[in-house]
Amino acid sequence: MNMANKNDKSRRRFLQKLGIAGASTVAGSALLLQGCSDSNKASGNKVKVLTADNKLVEVDVAHLKPGDKIQDLKYLQKRGREGIPGKKFVMVVDLAKCKNARKCMKACQSAHQLKPEMHHLNVLEMEDPVKKTSYWMPKTCQHCDNPPCVSVCPVDATFKRQDGIVLIDNERCIGCRFCVAACPYSARTFNWTEPKNSDKMADVTYDMELNVPQKKGTVTKCAFSADQLRHGKLPYCVSACPNGVYYFGDQNEDLVTNGTTKKTVRLSHLLEENAAYTLMPELGTQPSVYYLPPRESEG
Amino acid sequence: MKNNKGYHIIILFCLCFLAVANVNAQSDWQAPAEENEKLSPFLFDDDMVLEGRIAYENSCTSCHGTPGQDDFTPMSPPPGDPAAEQFQAQSDGSMFYKIKMGRGTMPKFEDAFADDELWNIVAYIRSFNEDYKQELPNMEGVVIPEYAMSLSFDENVDKLVVKVFAEELPQPEVSVSAYVMGTFGKHLLGKAQTNELGIAYVDVDPTLPGDEEGKVNVMVKATKEFARAKVEKHMVMAKPTERHSAIEGRHIWSTDRMAPIWLKITFFVSVFGVWFALLFIVFGLRNIKKAREEA
Repeated sequence: MNMANKNDKSRRRFLQKLGIAGASTVAGSALLLQGCSDSNKASGNKVKVLTADNKLVEVDVAHLKPGDKIQDLKYLQKRGREGIPGKKFVMVVDLAKCKNARKCMKACQSAHQLKPEMHHLNVLEMEDPVKKTSYWMPKTCQHCDNPPCVSVCPVDATFKRQDGIVLIDNERCIGCRFCVAACPYSARTFNWTEPKNSDKMADVTYDMELNVPQKKGTVTKCAFSADQLRHGKLPYCVSACPNGVYYFGDQNEDLVTNGTTKKTVRLSHLLEENAAYTLMPELGTQPSVYYLPPRESEG
Repeated sequence: MKNNKGYHIIILFCLCFLAVANVNAQSDWQAPAEENEKLSPFLFDDDMVLEGRIAYENSCTSCHGTPGQDDFTPMSPPPGDPAAEQFQAQSDGSMFYKIKMGRGTMPKFEDAFADDELWNIVAYIRSFNEDYKQELPNMEGVVIPEYAMSLSFDENVDKLVVKVFAEELPQPEVSVSAYVMGTFGKHLLGKAQTNELGIAYVDVDPTLPGDEEGKVNVMVKATKEFARAKVEKHMVMAKPTERHSAIEGRHIWSTDRMAPIWLKITFFVSVFGVWFALLFIVFGLRNIKKAREEA
Protein backbone atom coordinates (compact mmCIF):
# COMPACT_ATOMS: atom_id res chain seq x y z
CA MET A 1 0.00 0.00 0.00
CA ASN A 2 2.80 2.31 1.01
CA MET A 3 4.77 1.39 -2.03
CA ALA A 4 1.70 1.90 -4.12
CA ASN A 5 1.22 5.32 -2.48
CA LYS A 6 4.83 6.22 -3.08
CA ASN A 7 4.52 5.17 -6.71
CA ASP A 8 1.33 7.12 -6.99
CA LYS A 9 2.99 10.18 -5.47
CA SER A 10 5.95 10.03 -7.78
CA ARG A 11 3.65 9.61 -10.79
CA ARG A 12 1.64 12.55 -9.59
CA ARG A 13 4.81 14.56 -9.08
CA PHE A 14 5.99 13.56 -12.54
CA LEU A 15 2.68 14.67 -14.02
CA GLN A 16 2.85 17.91 -12.03
CA LYS A 17 6.34 18.63 -13.32
CA LEU A 18 5.23 17.81 -16.84
CA GLY A 19 2.29 20.13 -16.42
CA ILE A 20 4.52 22.98 -15.19
CA ALA A 21 6.99 22.42 -18.02
CA GLY A 22 4.13 22.43 -20.56
CA ALA A 23 2.55 25.55 -19.11
CA SER A 24 5.86 27.40 -19.02
CA THR A 25 6.54 26.43 -22.67
CA VAL A 26 3.14 27.79 -23.72
CA ALA A 27 3.63 30.94 -21.61
CA GLY A 28 7.17 31.40 -22.98
CA SER A 29 6.10 31.10 -26.59
CA ALA A 30 3.17 33.43 -25.93
CA LEU A 31 5.62 35.97 -24.52
CA LEU A 32 7.89 35.48 -27.50
CA LEU A 33 5.00 36.02 -29.88
CA GLN A 34 4.01 39.07 -27.89
CA GLY A 35 7.57 40.32 -28.29
CA CYS A 36 7.32 39.87 -32.04
CA SER A 37 4.06 41.75 -32.29
CA ASP A 38 5.52 44.52 -30.13
CA SER A 39 7.67 45.54 -33.07
CA ASN A 40 4.37 46.47 -34.72
CA LYS A 41 3.28 48.62 -31.79
CA ALA A 42 1.10 51.64 -32.52
CA SER A 43 3.11 54.81 -32.86
CA GLY A 44 0.18 57.10 -32.13
CA ASN A 45 0.37 58.77 -35.56
CA LYS A 46 -2.88 58.03 -37.33
CA VAL A 47 -3.66 58.49 -41.00
CA LYS A 48 -6.88 58.18 -42.94
CA VAL A 49 -6.89 55.65 -45.77
CA LEU A 50 -9.49 54.51 -48.28
CA THR A 51 -10.15 50.78 -48.33
CA ALA A 52 -10.86 48.76 -51.47
CA ASP A 53 -14.59 48.92 -50.72
CA ASN A 54 -14.48 52.72 -50.47
CA LYS A 55 -14.59 53.16 -46.71
CA LEU A 56 -12.52 55.82 -45.04
CA VAL A 57 -10.73 54.27 -42.05
CA GLU A 58 -8.15 55.59 -39.63
CA VAL A 59 -5.12 53.40 -39.08
CA ASP A 60 -1.86 53.74 -37.22
CA VAL A 61 1.17 54.57 -39.33
CA ALA A 62 3.07 51.62 -37.80
CA HIS A 63 0.48 49.20 -39.16
CA LEU A 64 0.92 50.36 -42.72
CA LYS A 65 2.96 48.36 -45.18
CA PRO A 66 4.20 49.69 -48.50
CA GLY A 67 1.35 49.17 -50.94
CA ASP A 68 2.04 46.62 -53.61
CA LYS A 69 -1.63 46.16 -54.47
CA ILE A 70 -1.44 48.90 -57.05
CA GLN A 71 1.09 46.75 -58.88
CA ASP A 72 -1.09 43.67 -58.59
CA LEU A 73 -2.91 42.94 -61.86
CA LYS A 74 -5.52 40.74 -60.15
CA TYR A 75 -6.44 43.53 -57.72
CA LEU A 76 -6.56 46.16 -60.46
CA GLN A 77 -8.76 43.91 -62.64
CA LYS A 78 -11.21 43.27 -59.78
CA ARG A 79 -11.34 46.95 -58.84
CA GLY A 80 -11.83 47.96 -62.46
CA ARG A 81 -14.71 45.53 -62.98
CA GLU A 82 -16.57 46.51 -59.82
CA GLY A 83 -16.57 50.28 -60.11
CA ILE A 84 -17.47 52.80 -57.41
CA PRO A 85 -20.64 51.94 -55.46
CA GLY A 86 -23.43 54.50 -55.11
CA LYS A 87 -22.28 56.67 -58.03
CA LYS A 88 -23.63 57.26 -61.52
CA PHE A 89 -21.26 59.50 -63.45
CA VAL A 90 -22.50 61.95 -66.07
CA MET A 91 -20.92 64.59 -68.28
CA VAL A 92 -22.48 67.74 -69.67
CA VAL A 93 -20.84 69.45 -72.65
CA ASP A 94 -21.72 73.10 -73.21
CA LEU A 95 -21.30 73.56 -76.96
CA ALA A 96 -21.76 77.33 -76.67
CA LYS A 97 -18.43 77.59 -74.87
CA CYS A 98 -16.21 75.34 -76.98
CA LYS A 99 -13.62 77.32 -78.94
CA ASN A 100 -11.63 74.35 -80.22
CA ALA A 101 -8.72 74.94 -77.82
CA ARG A 102 -8.14 71.13 -77.94
CA LYS A 103 -6.57 71.10 -74.46
CA CYS A 104 -8.97 68.28 -73.56
CA MET A 105 -7.70 66.14 -76.43
CA LYS A 106 -4.07 66.75 -75.50
CA ALA A 107 -4.67 65.90 -71.83
CA CYS A 108 -6.54 62.74 -72.83
CA GLN A 109 -3.92 61.57 -75.30
CA SER A 110 -1.05 62.09 -72.86
CA ALA A 111 -2.89 60.33 -70.00
CA HIS A 112 -3.96 57.33 -72.08
CA GLN A 113 -0.76 56.82 -74.09
CA LEU A 114 -2.41 57.62 -77.41
CA LYS A 115 -0.77 58.62 -80.66
CA PRO A 116 -1.86 61.98 -82.14
CA GLU A 117 -4.13 60.26 -84.67
CA MET A 118 -5.93 58.23 -81.99
CA HIS A 119 -8.81 59.75 -80.07
CA HIS A 120 -10.83 58.85 -77.02
CA LEU A 121 -12.16 62.37 -77.37
CA ASN A 122 -12.31 64.35 -80.58
CA VAL A 123 -13.39 67.93 -81.20
CA LEU A 124 -15.40 67.96 -84.43
CA GLU A 125 -16.53 70.89 -86.52
CA MET A 126 -20.27 70.62 -87.03
CA GLU A 127 -21.95 72.52 -89.82
CA ASP A 128 -25.47 73.81 -89.68
CA PRO A 129 -26.70 73.45 -93.27
CA VAL A 130 -29.65 75.79 -92.74
CA LYS A 131 -27.92 78.71 -91.04
CA LYS A 132 -24.61 78.08 -92.85
CA THR A 133 -22.76 78.35 -89.56
CA SER A 134 -20.56 75.92 -87.72
CA TYR A 135 -19.76 75.06 -84.13
CA TRP A 136 -17.28 72.81 -82.30
CA MET A 137 -18.47 69.60 -80.72
CA PRO A 138 -16.26 67.53 -78.41
CA LYS A 139 -17.32 63.91 -78.89
CA THR A 140 -16.41 61.18 -76.48
CA CYS A 141 -17.77 57.76 -75.50
CA GLN A 142 -21.37 58.35 -74.43
CA HIS A 143 -21.19 55.69 -71.67
CA CYS A 144 -24.66 54.51 -72.70
CA ASP A 145 -27.00 52.93 -70.18
CA ASN A 146 -27.94 50.53 -72.96
CA PRO A 147 -24.55 50.04 -74.65
CA PRO A 148 -24.60 48.25 -78.03
CA CYS A 149 -20.82 47.67 -77.81
CA VAL A 150 -21.25 45.57 -74.67
CA SER A 151 -24.03 43.49 -76.29
CA VAL A 152 -21.82 42.47 -79.20
CA CYS A 153 -18.56 41.73 -77.37
CA PRO A 154 -18.07 37.96 -77.65
CA VAL A 155 -15.50 37.70 -74.84
CA ASP A 156 -16.87 40.05 -72.12
CA ALA A 157 -13.88 42.34 -72.65
CA THR A 158 -15.99 45.47 -72.76
CA PHE A 159 -18.51 45.87 -69.96
CA LYS A 160 -20.61 48.32 -68.00
CA ARG A 161 -19.96 48.96 -64.31
CA GLN A 162 -22.30 49.82 -61.45
CA ASP A 163 -21.24 53.50 -61.64
CA GLY A 164 -22.35 53.68 -65.27
CA ILE A 165 -18.90 53.68 -66.86
CA VAL A 166 -18.29 51.47 -69.90
CA LEU A 167 -14.74 50.15 -69.83
CA ILE A 168 -12.60 47.82 -71.91
CA ASP A 169 -10.20 45.22 -70.57
CA ASN A 170 -7.40 44.80 -73.10
CA GLU A 171 -6.24 41.67 -71.28
CA ARG A 172 -9.43 40.00 -72.59
CA CYS A 173 -9.89 41.89 -75.87
CA ILE A 174 -9.25 39.68 -78.91
CA GLY A 175 -9.29 42.57 -81.38
CA CYS A 176 -12.40 41.45 -83.29
CA ARG A 177 -13.63 45.08 -83.48
CA PHE A 178 -17.32 44.09 -83.22
CA CYS A 179 -17.68 46.89 -80.65
CA VAL A 180 -16.15 49.43 -83.05
CA ALA A 181 -18.77 48.47 -85.62
CA ALA A 182 -21.62 48.43 -83.10
CA CYS A 183 -20.93 51.88 -81.59
CA PRO A 184 -23.21 54.42 -83.30
CA TYR A 185 -21.02 57.29 -82.03
CA SER A 186 -17.73 56.00 -83.50
CA ALA A 187 -16.25 56.48 -80.06
CA ARG A 188 -13.79 53.59 -80.21
CA THR A 189 -10.40 53.35 -81.76
CA PHE A 190 -8.06 50.46 -82.53
CA ASN A 191 -4.37 50.01 -81.83
CA TRP A 192 -3.28 49.07 -85.35
CA THR A 193 0.39 49.64 -84.53
CA GLU A 194 2.59 49.49 -81.43
CA PRO A 195 1.26 52.14 -79.00
CA LYS A 196 3.17 55.30 -78.13
CA ASN A 197 6.11 54.73 -75.75
CA SER A 198 5.38 50.99 -75.66
CA ASP A 199 9.01 50.22 -74.80
CA LYS A 200 8.93 52.54 -71.76
CA MET A 201 5.60 51.12 -70.59
CA ALA A 202 6.62 47.47 -70.92
CA ASP A 203 6.99 46.90 -67.16
CA VAL A 204 3.92 48.87 -66.07
CA THR A 205 1.05 46.80 -64.65
CA TYR A 206 -2.11 47.12 -66.72
CA ASP A 207 -4.83 49.24 -65.13
CA MET A 208 -8.10 49.00 -67.03
CA GLU A 209 -9.41 52.19 -65.40
CA LEU A 210 -6.64 54.11 -67.15
CA ASN A 211 -6.36 51.59 -70.01
CA VAL A 212 -2.60 51.86 -69.87
CA PRO A 213 -0.35 50.30 -71.08
CA GLN A 214 -2.12 50.11 -74.43
CA LYS A 215 -1.68 46.92 -76.42
CA LYS A 216 -1.30 46.47 -80.16
CA GLY A 217 -4.28 44.65 -81.70
CA THR A 218 -6.80 45.74 -79.06
CA VAL A 219 -9.58 48.29 -78.98
CA THR A 220 -9.30 51.38 -76.77
CA LYS A 221 -11.90 53.89 -75.65
CA CYS A 222 -12.73 56.73 -73.27
CA ALA A 223 -12.89 55.54 -69.65
CA PHE A 224 -14.33 58.76 -68.14
CA SER A 225 -10.89 58.82 -66.41
CA ALA A 226 -12.12 56.19 -63.94
CA ASP A 227 -8.68 56.22 -62.27
CA GLN A 228 -9.09 59.94 -61.45
CA LEU A 229 -12.68 59.54 -60.22
CA ARG A 230 -11.50 56.94 -57.73
CA HIS A 231 -9.50 59.72 -56.04
CA GLY A 232 -12.32 62.27 -56.20
CA LYS A 233 -10.65 64.14 -59.07
CA LEU A 234 -12.28 65.31 -62.28
CA PRO A 235 -11.41 63.55 -65.57
CA TYR A 236 -8.27 64.70 -67.42
CA CYS A 237 -10.20 66.36 -70.25
CA VAL A 238 -12.63 68.13 -67.92
CA SER A 239 -9.97 69.77 -65.76
CA ALA A 240 -7.80 70.68 -68.78
CA CYS A 241 -10.49 72.74 -70.55
CA PRO A 242 -9.76 76.49 -70.40
CA ASN A 243 -13.23 77.50 -71.62
CA GLY A 244 -15.61 75.95 -69.09
CA VAL A 245 -17.09 73.53 -71.63
CA TYR A 246 -17.33 70.48 -69.42
CA TYR A 247 -19.42 69.74 -66.38
CA PHE A 248 -18.92 66.41 -64.64
CA GLY A 249 -20.60 64.85 -61.65
CA ASP A 250 -22.78 62.24 -60.04
CA GLN A 251 -26.36 61.88 -61.26
CA ASN A 252 -27.37 60.39 -57.90
CA GLU A 253 -26.35 63.63 -56.18
CA ASP A 254 -27.86 65.71 -59.00
CA LEU A 255 -24.72 67.85 -58.88
CA VAL A 256 -22.20 68.56 -61.64
CA THR A 257 -18.99 70.56 -61.34
CA ASN A 258 -17.54 72.72 -64.08
CA GLY A 259 -13.96 71.68 -64.84
CA THR A 260 -12.72 75.26 -65.35
CA THR A 261 -14.49 77.37 -62.74
CA LYS A 262 -15.18 74.50 -60.30
CA LYS A 263 -18.67 75.87 -59.86
CA THR A 264 -21.06 73.10 -58.82
CA VAL A 265 -24.64 73.29 -60.09
CA ARG A 266 -27.74 71.12 -60.05
CA LEU A 267 -27.68 68.72 -62.99
CA SER A 268 -31.45 68.68 -63.49
CA HIS A 269 -31.64 72.49 -63.51
CA LEU A 270 -28.72 72.81 -65.93
CA LEU A 271 -30.27 70.34 -68.37
CA GLU A 272 -33.75 71.80 -68.14
CA GLU A 273 -32.78 75.47 -68.39
CA ASN A 274 -30.51 74.94 -71.39
CA ALA A 275 -32.64 72.51 -73.43
CA ALA A 276 -30.04 69.76 -73.17
CA TYR A 277 -30.09 66.85 -75.58
CA THR A 278 -28.31 63.56 -76.11
CA LEU A 279 -26.84 62.27 -79.36
CA MET A 280 -29.08 59.98 -81.46
CA PRO A 281 -31.77 59.47 -78.79
CA GLU A 282 -33.86 57.51 -81.30
CA LEU A 283 -31.45 54.56 -80.97
CA GLY A 284 -32.43 54.04 -77.34
CA THR A 285 -28.83 53.87 -76.17
CA GLN A 286 -29.51 56.27 -73.25
CA PRO A 287 -26.19 58.15 -73.18
CA SER A 288 -24.63 59.52 -69.96
CA VAL A 289 -23.24 62.49 -71.89
CA TYR A 290 -25.55 65.47 -72.38
CA TYR A 291 -25.06 68.39 -74.74
CA LEU A 292 -26.16 71.97 -74.22
CA PRO A 293 -26.91 73.43 -77.65
CA PRO A 294 -24.65 76.07 -79.21
CA ARG A 295 -26.21 79.51 -78.93
CA GLU A 296 -25.92 82.22 -81.50
CA SER A 297 -23.44 84.84 -80.43
CA GLU A 298 -24.98 88.10 -79.30
CA GLY A 299 -24.92 90.88 -81.84
CA MET B 1 10.75 91.72 -103.81
CA LYS B 2 9.90 95.26 -102.81
CA ASN B 3 6.27 94.23 -102.41
CA ASN B 4 7.30 91.37 -100.15
CA LYS B 5 9.23 93.75 -97.93
CA GLY B 6 6.17 95.98 -97.73
CA TYR B 7 4.01 93.06 -96.64
CA HIS B 8 6.53 92.07 -93.99
CA ILE B 9 6.53 95.58 -92.58
CA ILE B 10 2.72 95.69 -92.53
CA ILE B 11 2.52 92.28 -90.78
CA LEU B 12 5.19 93.32 -88.28
CA PHE B 13 3.33 96.55 -87.60
CA CYS B 14 0.04 94.67 -87.09
CA LEU B 15 1.70 92.22 -84.69
CA CYS B 16 3.24 95.04 -82.68
CA PHE B 17 -0.12 96.80 -82.59
CA LEU B 18 -1.84 93.61 -81.38
CA ALA B 19 0.77 93.09 -78.67
CA VAL B 20 0.45 96.68 -77.46
CA ALA B 21 -3.36 96.48 -77.61
CA ASN B 22 -3.29 93.28 -75.53
CA VAL B 23 -0.99 94.70 -72.91
CA ASN B 24 -3.16 97.80 -72.80
CA ALA B 25 -6.31 95.67 -72.47
CA GLN B 26 -4.78 93.98 -69.46
CA SER B 27 -3.37 97.06 -67.75
CA ASP B 28 -6.69 98.82 -68.35
CA TRP B 29 -8.35 96.59 -65.83
CA GLN B 30 -8.32 98.51 -62.58
CA ALA B 31 -9.99 97.39 -59.40
CA PRO B 32 -12.16 100.04 -57.66
CA ALA B 33 -10.07 102.17 -55.26
CA GLU B 34 -11.57 100.78 -52.04
CA GLU B 35 -11.07 97.18 -53.26
CA ASN B 36 -7.53 98.07 -54.27
CA GLU B 37 -6.68 98.98 -50.68
CA LYS B 38 -8.29 95.90 -49.17
CA LEU B 39 -5.87 93.84 -47.10
CA SER B 40 -5.92 90.17 -46.26
CA PRO B 41 -7.19 89.50 -42.74
CA PHE B 42 -4.94 86.40 -42.70
CA LEU B 43 -1.20 86.17 -42.43
CA PHE B 44 0.03 84.34 -45.55
CA ASP B 45 1.63 81.15 -44.26
CA ASP B 46 2.71 77.82 -45.78
CA ASP B 47 -0.74 76.29 -45.18
CA MET B 48 -2.43 79.06 -47.09
CA VAL B 49 0.09 78.77 -49.92
CA LEU B 50 -0.53 75.01 -50.12
CA GLU B 51 -4.32 75.43 -50.12
CA GLY B 52 -3.96 78.18 -52.71
CA ARG B 53 -1.79 75.97 -54.86
CA ILE B 54 -4.47 73.24 -54.96
CA ALA B 55 -7.15 75.79 -55.86
CA TYR B 56 -4.86 77.39 -58.48
CA GLU B 57 -3.98 74.08 -60.12
CA ASN B 58 -7.63 73.11 -60.32
CA SER B 59 -9.04 76.39 -61.54
CA CYS B 60 -6.33 78.64 -62.96
CA THR B 61 -3.58 76.50 -64.57
CA SER B 62 -5.60 75.80 -67.71
CA CYS B 63 -5.31 79.49 -68.74
CA HIS B 64 -2.50 81.02 -66.65
CA GLY B 65 -0.16 78.01 -66.80
CA THR B 66 2.34 77.25 -64.05
CA PRO B 67 3.54 80.48 -62.38
CA GLY B 68 7.07 81.37 -63.44
CA GLN B 69 7.00 79.13 -66.53
CA ASP B 70 5.38 81.61 -68.93
CA ASP B 71 3.28 78.75 -70.32
CA PHE B 72 -0.10 80.48 -70.26
CA THR B 73 -2.64 79.77 -73.00
CA PRO B 74 -2.30 82.11 -76.00
CA MET B 75 -5.57 84.01 -75.85
CA SER B 76 -6.65 87.54 -76.59
CA PRO B 77 -6.10 89.33 -74.26
CA PRO B 78 -3.34 87.01 -72.96
CA PRO B 79 -4.06 85.70 -69.44
CA GLY B 80 -0.42 86.29 -68.44
CA ASP B 81 1.82 84.57 -65.92
CA PRO B 82 0.92 85.40 -62.29
CA ALA B 83 4.62 85.35 -61.32
CA ALA B 84 5.33 88.12 -63.87
CA GLU B 85 6.08 91.67 -62.75
CA GLN B 86 2.86 93.05 -64.22
CA PHE B 87 0.86 90.79 -61.90
CA GLN B 88 3.01 91.25 -58.84
CA ALA B 89 2.93 95.05 -59.12
CA GLN B 90 -0.76 94.96 -58.17
CA SER B 91 -1.97 95.29 -54.60
CA ASP B 92 -3.36 92.23 -52.75
CA GLY B 93 -6.81 93.80 -52.82
CA SER B 94 -6.68 94.28 -56.58
CA MET B 95 -5.74 90.61 -57.16
CA PHE B 96 -8.46 89.52 -54.77
CA TYR B 97 -11.06 91.64 -56.57
CA LYS B 98 -10.08 90.48 -60.06
CA ILE B 99 -10.17 86.78 -59.14
CA LYS B 100 -13.49 87.23 -57.36
CA MET B 101 -15.31 89.31 -59.97
CA GLY B 102 -13.67 88.29 -63.27
CA ARG B 103 -14.01 90.14 -66.54
CA GLY B 104 -14.41 89.01 -70.16
CA THR B 105 -12.70 85.64 -70.56
CA MET B 106 -11.48 85.67 -66.95
CA PRO B 107 -14.21 83.73 -65.11
CA LYS B 108 -15.88 85.10 -62.02
CA PHE B 109 -14.91 82.93 -59.05
CA GLU B 110 -17.25 84.56 -56.54
CA ASP B 111 -19.56 81.54 -56.37
CA ALA B 112 -16.82 78.94 -56.56
CA PHE B 113 -14.58 80.23 -53.74
CA ALA B 114 -15.28 81.83 -50.40
CA ASP B 115 -13.23 84.90 -49.44
CA ASP B 116 -10.69 82.93 -47.40
CA GLU B 117 -10.14 80.58 -50.34
CA LEU B 118 -9.55 83.56 -52.63
CA TRP B 119 -6.94 84.89 -50.18
CA ASN B 120 -5.30 81.43 -50.35
CA ILE B 121 -4.87 81.92 -54.10
CA VAL B 122 -3.42 85.41 -53.57
CA ALA B 123 -1.02 83.90 -51.00
CA TYR B 124 0.06 81.27 -53.56
CA ILE B 125 0.62 83.88 -56.28
CA ARG B 126 2.63 86.03 -53.83
CA SER B 127 4.83 83.05 -52.94
CA PHE B 128 6.55 83.54 -56.33
CA ASN B 129 7.64 87.05 -55.42
CA GLU B 130 10.77 87.05 -53.25
CA ASP B 131 10.56 90.81 -52.63
CA TYR B 132 6.98 90.68 -51.39
CA LYS B 133 6.23 91.78 -47.85
CA GLN B 134 2.67 91.36 -46.73
CA GLU B 135 0.94 94.53 -45.62
CA LEU B 136 -1.24 93.81 -42.62
CA PRO B 137 -4.20 95.84 -41.33
CA ASN B 138 -3.88 97.58 -38.00
CA MET B 139 -5.24 95.02 -35.52
CA GLU B 140 -4.48 96.90 -32.31
CA GLY B 141 -7.35 96.80 -29.88
CA VAL B 142 -9.41 94.59 -32.20
CA VAL B 143 -10.92 91.56 -30.47
CA ILE B 144 -11.80 88.73 -32.87
CA PRO B 145 -14.69 86.67 -31.51
CA GLU B 146 -14.56 82.87 -31.80
CA TYR B 147 -17.76 81.66 -33.41
CA ALA B 148 -19.56 78.42 -32.64
CA MET B 149 -22.35 77.24 -34.91
CA SER B 150 -25.25 74.85 -34.62
CA LEU B 151 -27.09 73.54 -37.68
CA SER B 152 -30.60 72.16 -37.89
CA PHE B 153 -33.18 71.65 -40.61
CA ASP B 154 -36.75 72.92 -40.37
CA GLU B 155 -38.69 70.51 -42.57
CA ASN B 156 -41.93 72.53 -42.31
CA VAL B 157 -40.49 75.42 -44.28
CA ASP B 158 -37.56 73.61 -45.96
CA LYS B 159 -34.96 75.88 -44.42
CA LEU B 160 -31.52 75.25 -42.98
CA VAL B 161 -31.33 76.99 -39.61
CA VAL B 162 -27.88 78.26 -38.65
CA LYS B 163 -27.31 79.63 -35.15
CA VAL B 164 -24.11 81.59 -34.59
CA PHE B 165 -22.77 82.10 -31.07
CA ALA B 166 -19.68 83.54 -29.50
CA GLU B 167 -19.21 82.69 -25.83
CA GLU B 168 -22.87 81.62 -25.74
CA LEU B 169 -24.06 85.02 -26.95
CA PRO B 170 -26.01 85.13 -30.26
CA GLN B 171 -24.16 87.02 -32.99
CA PRO B 172 -26.22 89.32 -35.23
CA GLU B 173 -25.30 90.49 -38.78
CA VAL B 174 -22.94 87.61 -39.45
CA SER B 175 -22.72 86.57 -43.12
CA VAL B 176 -23.52 82.89 -43.47
CA SER B 177 -22.98 80.81 -46.64
CA ALA B 178 -24.22 77.23 -46.81
CA TYR B 179 -22.99 74.61 -49.27
CA VAL B 180 -23.87 71.01 -50.12
CA MET B 181 -20.70 68.99 -50.64
CA GLY B 182 -20.74 67.07 -53.92
CA THR B 183 -18.22 64.52 -55.16
CA PHE B 184 -16.19 67.10 -57.10
CA GLY B 185 -17.15 70.44 -55.60
CA LYS B 186 -19.42 72.35 -53.30
CA HIS B 187 -22.82 73.59 -54.38
CA LEU B 188 -23.91 76.93 -52.96
CA LEU B 189 -27.29 76.55 -51.26
CA GLY B 190 -27.55 80.19 -50.36
CA LYS B 191 -26.21 83.14 -48.39
CA ALA B 192 -27.92 84.89 -45.51
CA GLN B 193 -27.29 87.18 -42.54
CA THR B 194 -28.02 86.31 -38.95
CA ASN B 195 -30.83 88.23 -37.22
CA GLU B 196 -30.68 89.74 -33.74
CA LEU B 197 -31.10 86.22 -32.29
CA GLY B 198 -28.01 85.07 -34.16
CA ILE B 199 -30.09 82.90 -36.48
CA ALA B 200 -29.83 82.74 -40.28
CA TYR B 201 -32.21 80.82 -42.54
CA VAL B 202 -31.07 79.35 -45.85
CA ASP B 203 -33.57 77.93 -48.38
CA VAL B 204 -33.17 74.26 -49.21
CA ASP B 205 -34.61 72.85 -52.43
CA PRO B 206 -36.84 69.93 -51.34
CA THR B 207 -36.05 68.09 -54.59
CA LEU B 208 -32.34 67.85 -53.71
CA PRO B 209 -31.54 64.13 -53.51
CA GLY B 210 -29.78 62.75 -50.44
CA ASP B 211 -28.84 59.21 -49.50
CA GLU B 212 -31.34 56.49 -48.44
CA GLU B 213 -32.07 58.43 -45.23
CA GLY B 214 -32.11 61.82 -46.94
CA LYS B 215 -28.74 62.83 -45.52
CA VAL B 216 -26.30 65.16 -47.28
CA ASN B 217 -22.96 66.68 -46.34
CA VAL B 218 -23.49 70.32 -45.49
CA MET B 219 -20.75 72.91 -45.00
CA VAL B 220 -21.51 76.30 -43.49
CA LYS B 221 -19.18 79.27 -43.25
CA ALA B 222 -19.79 82.31 -41.06
CA THR B 223 -17.83 85.53 -41.52
CA LYS B 224 -17.97 89.00 -40.05
CA GLU B 225 -14.98 91.27 -40.45
CA PHE B 226 -12.00 89.24 -39.20
CA ALA B 227 -14.05 86.59 -37.41
CA ARG B 228 -14.49 83.35 -39.33
CA ALA B 229 -15.85 79.90 -38.59
CA LYS B 230 -16.58 76.80 -40.63
CA VAL B 231 -18.61 73.72 -39.74
CA GLU B 232 -19.39 70.51 -41.64
CA LYS B 233 -22.26 68.16 -40.84
CA HIS B 234 -23.79 65.03 -42.37
CA MET B 235 -27.46 65.76 -41.74
CA VAL B 236 -30.99 64.87 -42.85
CA MET B 237 -32.04 67.69 -45.16
CA ALA B 238 -32.79 66.24 -48.59
CA LYS B 239 -35.13 63.84 -50.32
CA PRO B 240 -34.38 60.21 -49.40
CA THR B 241 -33.20 58.56 -52.59
CA GLU B 242 -32.46 54.93 -53.23
CA ARG B 243 -29.30 54.54 -55.24
CA HIS B 244 -29.45 51.90 -57.93
CA SER B 245 -26.55 50.22 -59.62
CA ALA B 246 -26.37 51.02 -63.33
CA ILE B 247 -26.14 47.31 -64.12
CA GLU B 248 -28.83 45.91 -61.85
CA GLY B 249 -31.66 43.96 -63.46
CA ARG B 250 -31.46 42.23 -66.81
CA HIS B 251 -30.49 43.85 -70.07
CA ILE B 252 -29.82 42.77 -73.58
CA TRP B 253 -26.13 43.35 -72.82
CA SER B 254 -26.12 41.41 -69.53
CA THR B 255 -23.45 38.76 -69.23
CA ASP B 256 -24.23 35.14 -68.28
CA ARG B 257 -23.07 35.88 -64.73
CA MET B 258 -26.17 38.03 -64.28
CA ALA B 259 -28.65 35.51 -65.79
CA PRO B 260 -31.28 34.14 -63.35
CA ILE B 261 -30.88 30.56 -62.12
CA TRP B 262 -34.11 29.32 -63.80
CA LEU B 263 -32.80 30.47 -67.17
CA LYS B 264 -29.49 28.72 -66.62
CA ILE B 265 -31.27 25.46 -65.61
CA THR B 266 -33.68 25.63 -68.57
CA PHE B 267 -30.77 26.31 -70.93
CA PHE B 268 -28.63 23.44 -69.70
CA VAL B 269 -31.57 20.96 -69.45
CA SER B 270 -32.62 21.80 -73.05
CA VAL B 271 -29.08 21.48 -74.42
CA PHE B 272 -28.35 18.22 -72.61
CA GLY B 273 -31.87 16.96 -73.44
CA VAL B 274 -31.31 17.45 -77.16
CA TRP B 275 -27.93 15.75 -76.98
CA PHE B 276 -29.41 12.88 -75.00
CA ALA B 277 -32.23 12.39 -77.56
CA LEU B 278 -29.75 12.41 -80.45
CA LEU B 279 -27.47 9.88 -78.76
CA PHE B 280 -30.49 7.73 -77.84
CA ILE B 281 -31.54 7.57 -81.50
CA VAL B 282 -27.98 6.85 -82.70
CA PHE B 283 -27.57 4.02 -80.16
CA GLY B 284 -31.05 2.65 -81.05
CA LEU B 285 -30.14 2.57 -84.74
CA ARG B 286 -26.85 0.89 -83.88
CA ASN B 287 -28.65 -1.75 -81.84
CA ILE B 288 -31.13 -2.39 -84.67
CA LYS B 289 -28.22 -2.77 -87.09
CA LYS B 290 -26.47 -5.18 -84.71
CA ALA B 291 -29.67 -7.22 -84.21
CA ARG B 292 -30.11 -7.47 -87.97
CA GLU B 293 -26.52 -8.66 -88.44
CA GLU B 294 -26.98 -11.24 -85.69
CA ALA B 295 -30.25 -12.46 -87.18
